[in-house]
Amino acid sequence: MSAAIGSYATIGNDAPRRPAPHGAGRLAQLKARYFATPGTSLLTIVLGLMTAWAVVSFVRWGIIDAVWYDPTAEACKTASGACWAVITEKYRVILLGTYPYDEQWRSALIIAIWVVWAVLTAFRLFPLRMRLAGWLAVFVVTLVLMRGGVFGLSYVGTDAWGGLPLTFLVFGGTVAFGIPLAILLALGRRSPFPVVRFVSIATIEGVRGIPLLVVLFFGTLILPLFLPPQLDVDKLVRAEIGMVIFFAAYAAEVIRGGLQAVADGQDEAAKALGMGYWLRMRKIVLPQAVAIAIPALFNDIIRAFKNTTYFAILGLFDVLGATKVALDDPAWVRYGLEGYLFVFLLYFLICSGLSLYGRSLEQDHARRTRRAEQ
Amino acid sequence: MTNPADTSANLVVALDKINKWYGAHHVLRDVSLGLGEGEKIVLCGPSGSGKSTLIRCVNALERFQEGTLTVCGTVLDGKPATLAEIRRRTGMVFQNFNLFPHLSVLDNLTIGPVYARSEPEAAAIARARELLERVRLSDQAAKFPGQLSGGQRQRVAIARSLMLKPAVMLFDEPTSALDPEMIQEVLDVMEGLARDGQSMIVVTHEMGFARRVADLVVFMDQGEIIEAAPPEDFFANPATDRARDFLGKISTTA
Repeated sequence: MSAAIGSYATIGNDAPRRPAPHGAGRLAQLKARYFATPGTSLLTIVLGLMTAWAVVSFVRWGIIDAVWYDPTAEACKTASGACWAVITEKYRVILLGTYPYDEQWRSALIIAIWVVWAVLTAFRLFPLRMRLAGWLAVFVVTLVLMRGGVFGLSYVGTDAWGGLPLTFLVFGGTVAFGIPLAILLALGRRSPFPVVRFVSIATIEGVRGIPLLVVLFFGTLILPLFLPPQLDVDKLVRAEIGMVIFFAAYAAEVIRGGLQAVADGQDEAAKALGMGYWLRMRKIVLPQAVAIAIPALFNDIIRAFKNTTYFAILGLFDVLGATKVALDDPAWVRYGLEGYLFVFLLYFLICSGLSLYGRSLEQDHARRTRRAEQ
Repeated sequence: MTNPADTSANLVVALDKINKWYGAHHVLRDVSLGLGEGEKIVLCGPSGSGKSTLIRCVNALERFQEGTLTVCGTVLDGKPATLAEIRRRTGMVFQNFNLFPHLSVLDNLTIGPVYARSEPEAAAIARARELLERVRLSDQAAKFPGQLSGGQRQRVAIARSLMLKPAVMLFDEPTSALDPEMIQEVLDVMEGLARDGQSMIVVTHEMGFARRVADLVVFMDQGEIIEAAPPEDFFANPATDRARDFLGKISTTA
């Protein structure tokens, strides 16, 4: 209508809605990705051959030429492959530690209970309250079975506890006591009361400035020198307290990050509804903060699981400590590689499980809150 | 100057000589204001004039250094019980809704009464359904805030505040974060409330709403009340240059 301009817009012709066009075929995609140029093709071939060589050599060493059963360690001496016989021979020591041989069914039962309840928890077959109550029961049963002295079970001192049950117990205790303590420290660090804030900051920064090993040595070796001899706290408990505080100091900062990510308006809206401090934290702020902190929190939780291996240095027989003991046997001392590969696989499986569980919690939360929030 | 709040018993909110500073910055200067039972005040003014700060003082989300706040006869005095009583009498609707994203719409409504007031859950749920009906969102009770449009969220927020049967509803720019096509549905709900006799203080730039609903329009600038007049007088005949200037600037959107 007015003077000629270059801009224009075409009026739509009510085209029918249709599905998005399909991409190229799978073969074409592979070709585009791995053989696009001569350089890429060369790289694909070289890396492919190296991978194939690695896989073939490992299969030959680990499966074809391996010795699976050999109670005397004689066949292992001549075999060119792996000596998995060290595992079939020593698995009881590695998994159960130095626990009295005749009572090892108790340790085995504990492992079974933990694995079963962990799987049931991971698949969320029961409501949250029941899952948590279940874990409390698992803890109590574990302690009773390990320690004995009741229900006709013979007493076993903590110095004989070991293997996976000890690893589970130390890890579970660290997380179960550590997370509530971390939440209190994180809230304390944001407290309007200077004394509370100072104590929280001092704890967090103090502990973060010290290596875990120093915390554990202090708890197990130095601390008893200063305590009155009547106050005889078990070495395992002292080490565990160190683990809990160390975990809590790191997790507190992770949770504080989550707290900062929750908008101030959330707390204000809860105030406007007349909710008091602890109610606001419990029902409004912490559920959101912890959900935000889950990825980083699982980082700390997985690390807490791996940190249980420090107990080996303290002379407590967690899985790693027990493996060391098993491999001290002169007949098997040459097969450390196989022994530690087994332990590696065990830790890898458990940590991957934890990692997957963390991710599923994240997705759960995202499904609820972030969907349709464009 | 005597304060009418002291003599008149039917004031829902009375602010007397409120002064507030952010650091060295004096953001509220001698602000005095009273809201009569069942009446509506619209607070307007340029941004930074202190109107949001003022309305946040009414339910003690903001502290002020000098002055007296009285809500339904209760004077804010720093005791936790008084604070709780004042929060009980006031409902607040925020610009950004501030719904709890991890709770369903129904739980957003019931969490206040059930946990802060220990009301029986069944009674709270029944009341929540009634209020959702009133803001025309009965079919959204099971959804989460993230699944609702902005207008729907703000209507849920209004219903959430009404759960506590407040003596006064405070609206802090309730339509400023909304897409234009959603503003009217929220204003409709607010006008419905006004017709039912709810006492309200509303911070807003919606001058059409002010014209239809307000008993008193209060114009603020630089932390002071500059003008206070019934809407017909304020819009037809603003007394000060600052108010005239302000109305001229926003008239394109009103």
